[in-house]
Amino acid sequence: MSTPTAERTVSLREVGPARRGTRPDEVVIALSPAFAGHFSKTIVDVPHAEVLRQLMAGIEEQGVTARLVRVLDTADLAAMSHAAAKMSGSGISVGVLSRGTTMIHQKDLPRLSNLELFPQSPLLDAPVFRMIGSNAAQYAKGESPQPVPTRNDQMARPRWQAKAALLHLKEFDCIEAGRGPVEVEAVFGPGTAG
Amino acid sequence: MGAREGGPPEGLLVVGVDIGNSTTEASLAVVAPDGSITHLGTDLTRTTGVKGTPENTEGALKAIRGALARAGRSAGEVETVLLNEATPVISGLAMETITETIITESTMIGHNPTTPGGEGLGVGTTRSIGELREQPPGEPVVCVVPPGWDFDDAAAALNAAVADGVDVVAAILAGDDAVLVTNRLTRPIPVVDEVSAVEKVPLGMLAAVEVAAPGRTIRTLSNSYGLATVFGLDPTQTRQVSPVARALTGNRSAVVVRTPSGDVTDRRIPVGELVLRGAGKTLRVDVDAGAEAIMEVVGRAQPLDDAHGEPGTHVGGMLAQVRDTMADVMDIAGQPDVPVSEIAIRDVLAVDTFVPAEVRGGLAGEVALENAVALAAMVRTSRSRMQLVADLVSEGLGAAAEIGGVEGEMAVGGALTTPGVDRPVAVLDLGGGSTDAALLTREGECTAVHVAGAGELVTKLIDSELALGDREVAEGVKWFPLGKVESFFHLRHEDGTVEFVDEPLPPHVFARVVVLTPDGPAPVPTRHGLDHVRRVRREAKRRVFVVNALRALRQVAPGGNLRALEFVVLLGGSALDFEIPDMIADALAPHGIVCGTGNVLGTEGPRNAVASGLVRAHAALLAEQARCPTG
Repeated sequence: MSTPTAERTVSLREVGPARRGTRPDEVVIALSPAFAGHFSKTIVDVPHAEVLRQLMAGIEEQGVTARLVRVLDTADLAAMSHAAAKMSGSGISVGVLSRGTTMIHQKDLPRLSNLELFPQSPLLDAPVFRMIGSNAAQYAKGESPQPVPTRNDQMARPRWQAKAALLHLKEFDCIEAGRGPVEVEAVFGPGTAG
Repeated sequence: MGAREGGPPEGLLVVGVDIGNSTTEASLAVVAPDGSITHLGTDLTRTTGVKGTPENTEGALKAIRGALARAGRSAGEVETVLLNEATPVISGLAMETITETIITESTMIGHNPTTPGGEGLGVGTTRSIGELREQPPGEPVVCVVPPGWDFDDAAAALNAAVADGVDVVAAILAGDDAVLVTNRLTRPIPVVDEVSAVEKVPLGMLAAVEVAAPGRTIRTLSNSYGLATVFGLDPTQTRQVSPVARALTGNRSAVVVRTPSGDVTDRRIPVGELVLRGAGKTLRVDVDAGAEAIMEVVGRAQPLDDAHGEPGTHVGGMLAQVRDTMADVMDIAGQPDVPVSEIAIRDVLAVDTFVPAEVRGGLAGEVALENAVALAAMVRTSRSRMQLVADLVSEGLGAAAEIGGVEGEMAVGGALTTPGVDRPVAVLDLGGGSTDAALLTREGECTAVHVAGAGELVTKLIDSELALGDREVAEGVKWFPLGKVESFFHLRHEDGTVEFVDEPLPPHVFARVVVLTPDGPAPVPTRHGLDHVRRVRREAKRRVFVVNALRALRQVAPGGNLRALEFVVLLGGSALDFEIPDMIADALAPHGIVCGTGNVLGTEGPRNAVASGLVRAHAALLAEQARCPTG
């Protein structure tokens, strides 16, 4: 059984500078400079619309709300995620790069640490993004989720390293130094809107 | 204790060595000709090999040398090494499930997903989401959504069907989408999700879906008369569905499908009979009668000569397995094998437990807590080879080595060095495999018993009841208090107090239930909350150690009367536990007994009792010889 609709798309609409949240029931999703902008899919062609929908769905299913922030002055995943965690009312954030690399961060952790890291972007598909969203929301609620099983593929590095490097360079081109993070809204189309 | 001022004490240097199941302990002392003892030092090391075998020599030598090094003495000065006559007791464990829950014809879904959607009760005919339009308008329908449907699409399809007049009253989803779908519906309905085998839900049947508000449990489907009302059942049918209602109690969500002969049964598995021979009687008891009934029969057959399981049944297999293990342990290279038939089981401890098991016929990986019985069995052997160990130690150290006495008696002697203890004194040695009791009366008579079941059984109960599947983690849960890491800078202890830390805690323990080991918090991989883990831990300890303490003490107490005991001293590794001594003391308090953890020599805690007792016994012997040299 497959979904009966056409591929969804997403565009991000800026609503103003990102602020620190106060709601304890929110998870902030930090998006890299080129996410759903210059790029529209991950290194293995998972549409950014699907990445974002699944992350947000995982959070919503747990009864927690998601807030989206676009980071403009860096494409370093740890820096992005940590900055977002500090803005999150629950202290929990999810950071995503355009190529798919993802992590769950918490505000009290050192910047280069994390709660869960998914370093091999070629192995991340829609169900994994759903589980990441779900786990982030459970951390926000103070629950003890089992970490998302991380897949490992010895061949992923040699096979995808060149493409990952190119995507990374392109993402760096989109950095706008000196601009602070902005709050964004996701506008999904054209599938049967939700 | 005869310590003299100035100069090294005079007399003979002796070492008492206790080879236990898990640790080997040494106690070094100088014994003066008049029998007075000066303790110089102790040491403790891991037992090498199985207790009572020549492999023990290495550990014994290590402990002796350790004690000598601490006291600054050399091996050449040692006069005598005293070894314990190891109590020839080996114990084994087995566990068997005695109930089984089976769902037939996919009648029921009761797996309690963490996030169901909506609220309320919906009763209608089951239909797949693709065939919603086939339902005549006005007739209620329960929509079944197979895997692969996106939540947006499923919600859109449901909304469209409702707009066309289809009366959708509830939904059953394969994925974890219930909240997502209900958030997108124009008309709210109860939704149960994460039904992994949703394709097995019978279609075209009357079904009821109930979801309770957060923090509440369902009221209609867990009530037999609620089911009767929903499905219009007569009294006979109501009797048939009552197991379904019972299986759903405590759930936040549930689905019940009315099929011609669907049922949920709680079947007792025939496990077989346990045959106990003792006190001139042969008694039989069904193992599925539970621990209480078994222990009552074991009590009537005391002292037990042997126990057998009915051949061809589970219990037969359990005891055969225990016997085989023991035969392997007792086999000596170069000597004929021990015939399995010669191994007599001298004590059995049965403990009721439960094992989380997947329900047969379940649609969503439902887990039911099935009843199980754990059996610890203890065997006496006749083949202790301590004399061989003594010879090897003598050879290795260059000093005489001899068997100094029987374990139980020596333990009482060591326990008497605890400040505040006097005869009559009973010791309880809480070990790994067996719980031992020994009583020394005012007149100096000593009796000792061994009962099956101790620390190993507690670990096994914790492991299976929490479904940890990891013995090391279960050991951790047994040994250390629990806590919950609430942020990187504070954790809440199991008594509710909060501790703040200066250094942030490591990320892998964040938001988890942890055991507070000396090396820092270690996560317990479980879905259960701290309270549940704590309850399981304490119950396991109570069912093994408190039950066994009372059982063993009754066997040594004069006339089986606990009131005749005055002092009870707890010894052994499990006496170091942070709560077992308190639990036993609480259980003994109503009998007017002084009970506490031993403090051998006033310094060693519950350790070193046997080794110190060996030295004491030897000193008493020397003094006796000094008084009447010929006798």
